[in-house]
Amino acid sequence: MARWEVFKKDNARKPYQAVGSVHAVDPEHALHNAKNVFVRRPAAVSLWVAPAAAIFSRSAEELENQPLDPTANGHEQRYLVFRKASNRRSMTFMDHIGETSAPNGESALAQAIDQFDDKPGLAWWVIPAEAITASEEDVAEAWFAPAATKTYKQQSQYGFVSKLREGRKGAVTSDE
Amino acid sequence: MTEEQKTAEFEERIGRDEKIEPGDWMPEKYRKQLIRMISQHAHSEVIGMLPEGKWIPHAPSLRRKMILIAKVQDEAGHGQYLYHAAETLGVTREELYQAFLDGRAKYSSIFNYPSLSWADVGMIGWLVDGAAIKNQTMLAQCSYGPYSRAMVRICAEETFHHKQGKEMVLKYAAGTAKQRDMVQDALNRYWWPSLMMLGPHDSESTNTPQLVKWGVKTKTNDEVRQEFIAETAPELIASGLTIPDPDLHQDEDGVWHHGPIDWDEFWNVVKGNGPCNAERLGMRQDAHDNGQWVRDALEAYSEKKYGAAAFA
Ligand SMILES: [Fe+2]
Ligand SMILES: [Fe+2]
Repeated sequence: MARWEVFKKDNARKPYQAVGSVHAVDPEHALHNAKNVFVRRPAAVSLWVAPAAAIFSRSAEELENQPLDPTANGHEQRYLVFRKASNRRSMTFMDHIGETSAPNGESALAQAIDQFDDKPGLAWWVIPAEAITASEEDVAEAWFAPAATKTYKQQSQYGFVSKLREGRKGAVTSDE
Repeated sequence: MTEEQKTAEFEERIGRDEKIEPGDWMPEKYRKQLIRMISQHAHSEVIGMLPEGKWIPHAPSLRRKMILIAKVQDEAGHGQYLYHAAETLGVTREELYQAFLDGRAKYSSIFNYPSLSWADVGMIGWLVDGAAIKNQTMLAQCSYGPYSRAMVRICAEETFHHKQGKEMVLKYAAGTAKQRDMVQDALNRYWWPSLMMLGPHDSESTNTPQLVKWGVKTKTNDEVRQEFIAETAPELIASGLTIPDPDLHQDEDGVWHHGPIDWDEFWNVVKGNGPCNAERLGMRQDAHDNGQWVRDALEAYSEKKYGAAAFA
Protein backbone atom coordinates (compact mmCIF):
# COMPACT_ATOMS: atom_id res chain seq x y z
CA MET A 1 0.00 0.00 0.00
CA ALA A 2 1.41 3.41 -0.98
CA ARG A 3 2.57 5.96 1.58
CA TRP A 4 0.99 9.43 1.56
CA GLU A 5 2.22 12.55 3.27
CA VAL A 6 -0.43 14.46 5.19
CA PHE A 7 -0.68 18.25 5.55
CA LYS A 8 -2.99 19.83 8.08
CA LYS A 9 -4.22 23.42 8.23
CA ASP A 10 -5.19 24.30 11.81
CA ASN A 11 -7.04 27.54 11.05
CA ALA A 12 -7.42 30.26 8.45
CA ARG A 13 -4.20 32.02 9.47
CA LYS A 14 -1.98 28.93 9.64
CA PRO A 15 -0.20 27.37 6.64
CA TYR A 16 -0.68 23.71 5.73
CA GLN A 17 1.90 21.81 7.78
CA ALA A 18 3.38 18.35 7.23
CA VAL A 19 2.16 16.30 10.19
CA GLY A 20 3.20 12.79 9.17
CA SER A 21 2.10 10.05 6.83
CA VAL A 22 -0.47 7.30 6.29
CA HIS A 23 -0.76 4.28 4.04
CA ALA A 24 -3.65 4.16 1.60
CA VAL A 25 -4.77 2.78 -1.75
CA ASP A 26 -6.03 6.09 -3.20
CA PRO A 27 -6.52 9.78 -2.27
CA GLU A 28 -9.97 9.30 -0.68
CA HIS A 29 -8.67 6.50 1.50
CA ALA A 30 -5.61 8.57 2.38
CA LEU A 31 -7.81 11.49 3.48
CA HIS A 32 -9.94 9.24 5.68
CA ASN A 33 -6.88 7.71 7.31
CA ALA A 34 -5.37 11.17 7.71
CA LYS A 35 -8.48 12.35 9.53
CA ASN A 36 -8.46 9.35 11.89
CA VAL A 37 -4.75 9.51 12.59
CA PHE A 38 -4.14 13.27 12.77
CA VAL A 39 -7.45 14.93 13.64
CA ARG A 40 -8.57 13.11 16.77
CA ARG A 41 -8.18 16.47 18.49
CA PRO A 42 -8.76 20.07 17.44
CA ALA A 43 -7.99 21.93 15.42
CA ALA A 44 -8.18 21.44 11.67
CA VAL A 45 -10.03 23.19 8.87
CA SER A 46 -8.57 21.28 5.92
CA LEU A 47 -6.27 18.39 4.98
CA TRP A 48 -4.06 17.70 1.97
CA VAL A 49 -2.59 14.36 1.01
CA ALA A 50 0.11 13.62 -1.58
CA PRO A 51 1.69 10.29 -2.55
CA ALA A 52 5.20 10.15 -1.06
CA ALA A 53 6.47 8.99 -4.47
CA ALA A 54 5.45 12.34 -6.02
CA ILE A 55 7.59 14.41 -3.65
CA PHE A 56 11.00 15.82 -4.60
CA SER A 57 12.83 16.06 -1.29
CA ARG A 58 16.22 17.46 -0.23
CA SER A 59 17.76 18.21 3.13
CA ALA A 60 20.22 21.09 3.52
CA GLU A 61 23.00 18.51 3.88
CA GLU A 62 22.03 16.79 0.63
CA LEU A 63 21.96 20.14 -1.19
CA GLU A 64 25.42 20.96 0.11
CA ASN A 65 26.92 17.63 -0.93
CA GLN A 66 25.13 17.37 -4.23
CA PRO A 67 24.15 20.69 -5.86
CA LEU A 68 20.92 20.72 -7.86
CA ASP A 69 21.13 20.29 -11.61
CA PRO A 70 17.99 21.90 -13.07
CA THR A 71 17.03 20.81 -16.58
CA ALA A 72 14.18 21.58 -18.97
CA ASN A 73 13.00 17.96 -19.09
CA GLY A 74 9.30 17.48 -18.46
CA HIS A 75 6.21 19.58 -18.85
CA GLU A 76 5.88 22.92 -17.13
CA GLN A 77 3.54 22.65 -14.16
CA ARG A 78 2.74 24.15 -10.76
CA TYR A 79 4.71 22.91 -7.76
CA LEU A 80 3.82 23.61 -4.14
CA VAL A 81 6.81 24.44 -1.97
CA PHE A 82 7.33 23.25 1.62
CA ARG A 83 10.21 24.16 3.89
CA LYS A 84 11.53 23.33 7.34
CA ALA A 85 13.23 26.45 8.68
CA SER A 86 13.82 25.74 12.36
CA ASN A 87 15.16 23.07 14.71
CA ARG A 88 12.72 24.11 17.43
CA ARG A 89 10.80 21.36 19.25
CA SER A 90 7.76 20.70 17.09
CA MET A 91 5.18 18.10 16.10
CA THR A 92 5.19 19.32 12.49
CA PHE A 93 7.91 19.00 9.87
CA MET A 94 7.51 21.50 7.04
CA ASP A 95 5.29 24.48 6.30
CA HIS A 96 3.70 25.22 2.97
CA ILE A 97 5.30 28.53 1.95
CA GLY A 98 4.18 29.09 -1.63
CA GLU A 99 4.42 27.75 -5.14
CA THR A 100 6.49 27.88 -8.28
CA SER A 101 6.24 26.66 -11.84
CA ALA A 102 8.83 24.35 -13.40
CA PRO A 103 9.28 21.43 -15.81
CA ASN A 104 10.43 18.97 -13.08
CA GLY A 105 11.01 18.62 -9.35
CA GLU A 106 14.71 19.40 -9.35
CA SER A 107 14.19 22.62 -11.29
CA ALA A 108 11.21 23.52 -9.11
CA LEU A 109 13.36 23.22 -5.99
CA ALA A 110 16.21 25.26 -7.50
CA GLN A 111 13.72 28.04 -8.26
CA ALA A 112 12.02 27.76 -4.89
CA ILE A 113 15.33 28.21 -3.04
CA ASP A 114 15.92 31.48 -4.95
CA GLN A 115 12.34 32.61 -4.60
CA PHE A 116 11.93 31.93 -0.86
CA ASP A 117 15.20 33.23 0.51
CA ASP A 118 13.82 34.95 3.63
CA LYS A 119 15.08 32.05 5.76
CA PRO A 120 17.54 29.25 5.08
CA GLY A 121 15.82 25.91 4.53
CA LEU A 122 16.88 22.94 6.67
CA ALA A 123 14.82 20.63 4.45
CA TRP A 124 12.65 21.14 1.37
CA TRP A 125 9.84 19.40 -0.47
CA VAL A 126 8.35 20.37 -3.81
CA ILE A 127 5.20 18.59 -4.94
CA PRO A 128 3.34 18.90 -8.26
CA ALA A 129 0.03 20.63 -7.49
CA GLU A 130 -1.80 17.94 -9.44
CA ALA A 131 -0.51 15.24 -7.04
CA ILE A 132 -2.19 16.89 -4.04
CA THR A 133 -5.78 16.08 -3.02
CA ALA A 134 -7.61 18.31 -0.53
CA SER A 135 -10.44 17.34 1.82
CA GLU A 136 -13.82 18.43 0.45
CA GLU A 137 -15.07 21.85 1.57
CA ASP A 138 -18.56 20.52 2.28
CA VAL A 139 -17.37 17.80 4.66
CA ALA A 140 -15.17 20.16 6.68
CA GLU A 141 -17.82 20.72 9.35
CA ALA A 142 -18.65 17.01 9.72
CA TRP A 143 -14.98 15.99 9.66
CA PHE A 144 -13.37 18.57 11.88
CA ALA A 145 -15.95 20.15 14.20
CA PRO A 146 -16.73 17.09 16.41
CA ALA A 147 -13.15 16.90 17.76
CA ALA A 148 -13.74 20.23 19.51
CA THR A 149 -16.75 18.91 21.44
CA LYS A 150 -14.94 15.84 22.77
CA THR A 151 -13.52 17.74 25.69
CA TYR A 152 -12.87 14.60 27.77
CA LYS A 153 -9.86 14.00 25.49
CA GLN A 154 -8.30 17.32 26.52
CA GLN A 155 -5.85 17.00 29.36
CA SER A 156 -6.66 20.61 30.30
CA GLN A 157 -10.20 19.55 31.19
CA TYR A 158 -8.89 17.51 34.11
CA GLY A 159 -7.27 20.49 35.79
CA PHE A 160 -4.64 19.70 38.39
CA VAL A 161 -5.25 16.14 39.59
CA SER A 162 -3.51 15.57 42.91
CA LYS A 163 -3.96 14.65 46.53
CA LEU A 164 -0.79 16.44 47.54
CA ARG A 165 -1.85 20.04 47.26
CA GLU A 166 -5.14 21.36 48.55
CA GLY A 167 -7.10 24.03 46.77
CA ARG A 168 -6.82 22.30 43.43
CA LYS A 169 -9.35 23.35 40.87
CA GLY A 170 -11.43 21.45 38.37
CA ALA A 171 -10.40 17.83 38.58
CA VAL A 172 -13.00 15.47 39.77
CA THR A 173 -16.52 15.09 38.46
CA SER A 174 -18.73 12.55 40.13
CA ASP A 175 -20.23 9.90 37.95
CA GLU A 176 -19.33 6.67 39.75
CA MET B 1 35.45 11.74 3.20
CA THR B 2 36.20 8.71 5.34
CA GLU B 3 33.65 7.05 7.59
CA GLU B 4 35.43 8.55 10.63
CA GLN B 5 35.29 12.08 9.19
CA LYS B 6 31.63 11.69 8.36
CA THR B 7 30.92 10.39 11.85
CA ALA B 8 32.83 13.29 13.39
CA GLU B 9 30.79 15.76 11.34
CA PHE B 10 27.59 13.96 12.28
CA GLU B 11 28.48 14.18 15.97
CA GLU B 12 29.28 17.88 15.58
CA ARG B 13 25.82 18.43 14.13
CA ILE B 14 24.28 16.69 17.12
CA GLY B 15 26.47 18.79 19.40
CA ARG B 16 24.98 21.92 17.77
CA ASP B 17 21.46 20.60 18.55
CA GLU B 18 20.66 20.18 14.88
CA LYS B 19 18.08 17.57 13.97
CA ILE B 20 19.09 14.73 11.66
CA GLU B 21 16.50 14.54 8.88
CA PRO B 22 15.65 11.93 6.23
CA GLY B 23 18.27 12.17 3.47
CA ASP B 24 21.06 13.18 5.87
CA TRP B 25 24.07 10.97 6.36
CA MET B 26 24.08 8.91 9.57
CA PRO B 27 26.22 6.09 10.96
CA GLU B 28 24.76 2.69 10.16
CA LYS B 29 24.63 1.91 13.86
CA TYR B 30 22.53 5.04 14.55
CA ARG B 31 20.09 3.96 11.84
CA LYS B 32 19.87 0.40 13.17
CA GLN B 33 19.39 1.47 16.78
CA LEU B 34 16.65 3.90 15.78
CA ILE B 35 14.81 1.28 13.74
CA ARG B 36 15.01 -1.09 16.72
CA MET B 37 13.80 1.50 19.23
CA ILE B 38 11.09 3.11 17.12
CA SER B 39 9.62 -0.19 15.93
CA GLN B 40 9.61 -1.70 19.43
CA HIS B 41 7.90 1.45 20.58
CA ALA B 42 5.32 1.18 17.76
CA HIS B 43 4.58 -2.45 18.59
CA SER B 44 4.12 -1.49 22.25
CA GLU B 45 1.51 1.12 21.34
CA VAL B 46 -0.36 -1.41 19.21
CA ILE B 47 -0.28 -4.21 21.79
CA GLY B 48 -1.08 -1.64 24.48
CA MET B 49 -4.61 -1.36 23.13
CA LEU B 50 -5.44 -4.89 24.29
CA PRO B 51 -5.33 -4.91 28.12
CA GLU B 52 -7.53 -1.81 28.25
CA GLY B 53 -9.65 -2.38 25.15
CA LYS B 54 -11.00 -5.48 26.82
CA TRP B 55 -12.66 -3.29 29.49
CA ILE B 56 -14.50 -0.93 27.11
CA PRO B 57 -17.77 -2.95 27.28
CA HIS B 58 -17.61 -2.97 31.09
CA ALA B 59 -17.05 0.74 31.75
CA PRO B 60 -19.20 1.86 34.70
CA SER B 61 -20.46 5.07 33.04
CA LEU B 62 -20.82 6.60 29.60
CA ARG B 63 -18.16 9.17 30.43
CA ARG B 64 -15.66 6.48 31.42
CA LYS B 65 -16.51 4.51 28.31
CA MET B 66 -15.91 7.49 26.01
CA ILE B 67 -12.63 8.26 27.77
CA LEU B 68 -11.42 4.69 27.40
CA ILE B 69 -12.43 4.44 23.74
CA ALA B 70 -10.59 7.71 23.04
CA LYS B 71 -7.50 6.45 24.87
CA VAL B 72 -7.39 3.16 22.99
CA GLN B 73 -7.88 5.04 19.69
CA ASP B 74 -4.98 7.28 20.62
CA GLU B 75 -2.73 4.24 21.15
CA ALA B 76 -3.62 3.00 17.66
CA GLY B 77 -2.68 6.44 16.34
CA HIS B 78 0.60 6.41 18.27
CA GLY B 79 1.50 3.10 16.65
CA GLN B 80 0.90 4.68 13.24
CA TYR B 81 2.98 7.82 13.98
CA LEU B 82 5.85 5.57 15.01
CA TYR B 83 5.74 3.04 12.16
CA HIS B 84 5.86 6.00 9.79
CA ALA B 85 8.79 7.57 11.65
CA ALA B 86 10.61 4.22 11.29
CA GLU B 87 9.82 4.11 7.57
CA THR B 88 11.91 7.25 6.99
CA LEU B 89 14.91 5.04 7.90
CA GLY B 90 14.42 2.74 4.93
CA VAL B 91 12.20 -0.03 6.30
CA THR B 92 8.51 -0.66 5.64
CA ARG B 93 5.62 -0.82 8.06
CA GLU B 94 4.72 -4.22 6.60
CA GLU B 95 8.09 -5.82 7.35
CA LEU B 96 8.20 -4.35 10.85
CA TYR B 97 4.67 -5.52 11.58
CA GLN B 98 5.39 -8.99 10.25
CA ALA B 99 8.41 -9.30 12.55
CA PHE B 100 6.13 -8.33 15.42
CA LEU B 101 3.44 -10.90 14.51
CA ASP B 102 6.10 -13.59 14.07
CA GLY B 103 7.39 -12.91 17.56
CA ARG B 104 10.80 -11.80 16.18
CA ALA B 105 10.42 -8.23 17.48
CA LYS B 106 10.17 -7.10 21.07
CA TYR B 107 7.64 -4.82 22.68
CA SER B 108 7.19 -3.39 26.16
CA SER B 109 7.05 -6.12 28.82
CA ILE B 110 4.26 -4.36 30.70
CA PHE B 111 1.55 -5.32 28.20
CA ASN B 112 2.02 -9.01 28.89
CA TYR B 113 0.45 -8.65 32.32
CA PRO B 114 -3.29 -9.30 32.58
CA SER B 115 -5.85 -6.57 33.35
CA LEU B 116 -8.00 -8.31 35.95
CA SER B 117 -10.36 -5.59 37.19
CA TRP B 118 -11.81 -2.26 36.11
CA ALA B 119 -9.45 -0.51 38.52
CA ASP B 120 -6.54 -1.76 36.40
CA VAL B 121 -7.65 0.72 33.73
CA GLY B 122 -7.05 3.60 36.14
CA MET B 123 -3.79 2.15 37.43
CA ILE B 124 -2.50 1.55 33.90
CA GLY B 125 -3.31 5.16 32.97
CA TRP B 126 -1.55 6.54 36.01
CA LEU B 127 1.48 4.24 36.25
CA VAL B 128 2.03 2.75 32.80
CA ASP B 129 1.18 5.83 30.76
CA GLY B 130 2.91 7.88 33.46
CA ALA B 131 6.13 5.88 33.08
CA ALA B 132 5.79 6.00 29.31
CA ILE B 133 5.45 9.80 29.37
CA LYS B 134 8.71 10.08 31.33
CA ASN B 135 10.46 8.19 28.55
CA GLN B 136 8.62 9.94 25.76
CA THR B 137 9.27 13.44 27.09
CA MET B 138 12.95 12.59 27.01
CA LEU B 139 12.69 11.12 23.49
CA ALA B 140 10.93 14.28 22.27
CA GLN B 141 14.44 15.84 22.47
CA CYS B 142 15.83 13.06 20.28
CA SER B 143 18.35 14.03 17.59
CA TYR B 144 16.40 12.24 14.85
CA GLY B 145 13.74 14.67 13.54
CA PRO B 146 10.95 12.22 12.64
CA TYR B 147 11.19 10.37 15.98
CA SER B 148 11.25 13.58 18.00
CA ARG B 149 8.20 14.98 16.17
CA ALA B 150 6.24 11.77 16.71
CA MET B 151 7.12 11.96 20.40
CA VAL B 152 6.02 15.59 20.75
CA ARG B 153 2.67 14.66 19.20
CA ILE B 154 2.33 11.58 21.41
CA CYS B 155 3.24 13.39 24.64
CA ALA B 156 0.46 15.92 24.10
CA GLU B 157 -2.05 13.05 24.00
CA GLU B 158 -0.47 10.89 26.72
CA THR B 159 -1.00 13.62 29.29
CA PHE B 160 -4.73 12.98 28.96
CA HIS B 161 -4.15 9.22 29.45
CA HIS B 162 -2.16 9.86 32.59
CA LYS B 163 -4.60 12.34 34.09
CA GLN B 164 -7.74 10.31 33.50
CA GLY B 165 -6.08 7.30 35.16
CA LYS B 166 -4.83 9.27 38.11
CA GLU B 167 -8.23 10.90 38.53
CA MET B 168 -9.88 7.47 38.60
CA VAL B 169 -7.43 5.96 41.09
CA LEU B 170 -7.62 8.94 43.47
CA LYS B 171 -11.39 8.75 43.40
CA TYR B 172 -11.52 5.02 44.14
CA ALA B 173 -8.80 5.35 46.80
CA ALA B 174 -11.13 7.77 48.58
CA GLY B 175 -14.21 5.68 47.84
CA THR B 176 -15.93 2.67 49.38
CA ALA B 177 -14.00 -0.19 50.99
CA LYS B 178 -14.60 -2.28 47.89
CA GLN B 179 -13.26 0.47 45.58
CA ARG B 180 -10.20 0.90 47.80
CA ASP B 181 -9.50 -2.84 47.78
CA MET B 182 -9.83 -2.89 44.02
CA VAL B 183 -7.28 -0.09 43.41
CA GLN B 184 -4.92 -1.45 46.07
CA ASP B 185 -4.97 -4.81 44.31
CA ALA B 186 -4.27 -3.08 40.98
CA LEU B 187 -1.35 -1.20 42.54
CA ASN B 188 0.03 -4.43 44.02
CA ARG B 189 0.14 -5.98 40.58
CA TYR B 190 1.24 -2.96 38.50
CA TRP B 191 3.85 -1.21 40.66
CA TRP B 192 6.80 -3.50 39.97
CA PRO B 193 6.07 -4.08 36.27
CA SER B 194 5.87 -0.27 35.88
CA LEU B 195 9.37 0.13 37.34
CA MET B 196 10.63 -2.71 35.13
CA MET B 197 9.19 -1.24 31.94
CA LEU B 198 11.68 1.62 32.15
CA GLY B 199 14.36 -0.91 31.27
CA PRO B 200 17.35 -2.66 32.84
CA HIS B 201 19.70 -0.89 35.24
CA ASP B 202 22.32 1.34 33.58
CA SER B 203 25.02 -1.18 34.53
CA GLU B 204 23.21 -3.80 32.39
CA SER B 205 22.14 -1.52 29.56
CA THR B 206 24.87 -1.85 26.94
CA ASN B 207 23.28 0.41 24.31
CA THR B 208 22.73 3.43 26.53
CA PRO B 209 26.13 5.25 26.43
CA GLN B 210 26.16 5.32 22.61
CA LEU B 211 22.51 6.39 22.47
CA VAL B 212 23.17 9.22 24.90
CA LYS B 213 26.24 10.32 22.92
CA TRP B 214 24.19 10.48 19.72
CA GLY B 215 21.37 12.39 21.34
CA VAL B 216 18.84 9.61 20.87
CA LYS B 217 18.36 9.31 24.61
CA THR B 218 19.19 12.19 26.87
CA LYS B 219 18.79 10.27 30.14
CA THR B 220 19.61 6.75 31.31
CA ASN B 221 17.02 4.15 32.37
CA ASP B 222 17.84 4.59 36.04
CA GLU B 223 17.56 8.38 35.80
CA VAL B 224 14.11 8.10 34.22
CA ARG B 225 13.02 5.47 36.76
CA GLN B 226 14.18 7.70 39.60
CA GLU B 227 12.18 10.64 38.24
CA PHE B 228 9.13 8.43 37.90
CA ILE B 229 9.33 7.22 41.51
CA ALA B 230 9.96 10.72 42.86
CA GLU B 231 6.88 11.99 41.09
CA THR B 232 4.54 9.05 41.69
CA ALA B 233 5.36 7.62 45.12
CA PRO B 234 4.40 10.70 47.19
CA GLU B 235 1.07 10.96 45.33
CA LEU B 236 0.27 7.27 45.86
CA ILE B 237 1.12 7.52 49.54
CA ALA B 238 -0.99 10.69 49.91
CA SER B 239 -3.92 8.84 48.36
CA GLY B 240 -3.79 6.34 51.23
CA LEU B 241 -2.64 3.41 49.09
CA THR B 242 0.28 1.19 50.08
CA ILE B 243 3.14 0.77 47.60
CA PRO B 244 4.11 -2.93 47.60
CA ASP B 245 7.79 -2.34 48.40
CA PRO B 246 8.73 -2.47 52.10
CA ASP B 247 12.18 -1.08 51.26
CA LEU B 248 10.89 2.03 49.50
CA HIS B 249 11.97 5.16 51.38
CA GLN B 250 13.26 8.67 50.96
CA ASP B 251 16.69 9.48 52.39
CA GLU B 252 17.56 12.73 54.17
CA ASP B 253 18.46 14.34 50.82
CA GLY B 254 14.99 13.54 49.52
CA VAL B 255 16.22 10.81 47.18
CA TRP B 256 13.95 7.79 46.82
CA HIS B 257 15.37 4.30 47.21
CA HIS B 258 13.48 1.22 46.09
CA GLY B 259 13.90 -2.45 46.93
CA PRO B 260 15.51 -4.91 44.49
CA ILE B 261 13.71 -5.36 41.16
CA ASP B 262 13.07 -8.95 40.07
CA TRP B 263 14.97 -8.84 36.78
CA ASP B 264 14.51 -12.57 36.22
CA GLU B 265 10.81 -11.90 35.93
CA PHE B 266 11.46 -8.97 33.57
CA TRP B 267 13.67 -10.99 31.19
CA ASN B 268 11.30 -13.93 31.33
CA VAL B 269 8.43 -11.69 30.17
CA VAL B 270 10.59 -9.98 27.52
CA LYS B 271 11.59 -13.39 26.17
CA GLY B 272 7.96 -14.27 25.60
CA ASN B 273 7.07 -16.22 28.75
CA GLY B 274 4.92 -13.62 30.50
CA PRO B 275 1.36 -14.35 31.59
CA CYS B 276 -0.21 -13.00 28.37
CA ASN B 277 2.44 -12.98 25.58
CA ALA B 278 0.80 -15.70 23.52
CA GLU B 279 -2.73 -14.36 23.99
CA ARG B 280 -1.74 -10.81 23.02
CA LEU B 281 0.11 -11.82 19.85
CA GLY B 282 -2.68 -14.23 18.97
CA MET B 283 -5.20 -11.40 19.11
CA ARG B 284 -3.05 -9.17 16.88
CA GLN B 285 -2.66 -12.02 14.38
CA ASP B 286 -6.44 -12.57 14.36
CA ALA B 287 -7.12 -8.89 13.83
CA HIS B 288 -4.60 -8.85 10.99
CA ASP B 289 -6.11 -11.93 9.32
CA ASN B 290 -9.69 -10.74 9.79
CA GLY B 291 -8.79 -7.40 8.20
CA GLN B 292 -7.48 -9.00 5.01
CA TRP B 293 -10.83 -8.76 3.19
CA VAL B 294 -10.97 -5.03 3.98
CA ARG B 295 -7.53 -4.45 2.46
CA ASP B 296 -8.51 -6.55 -0.56
CA ALA B 297 -11.75 -4.61 -1.03
CA LEU B 298 -9.93 -1.27 -0.81
CA GLU B 299 -7.41 -2.38 -3.42
CA ALA B 300 -10.16 -3.67 -5.73
CA TYR B 301 -12.16 -0.44 -5.45
CA SER B 302 -9.13 1.73 -6.09
CA GLU B 303 -8.06 -0.40 -9.06
CA LYS B 304 -11.49 -0.07 -10.63
CA LYS B 305 -11.53 3.68 -10.14
CA TYR B 306 -7.91 4.63 -10.88
CA GLY B 307 -6.44 1.62 -12.71
CA ALA B 308 -3.89 -0.91 -11.47
CA ALA B 309 -1.05 0.37 -9.29
CA ALA B 310 -1.92 4.02 -9.94
CA PHE B 311 -0.28 5.18 -6.68
CA ALA B 312 2.25 2.42 -6.02
FE1 LIG C 1 0.58 5.84 23.56
FE1 LIG D 1 -1.15 6.15 26.42
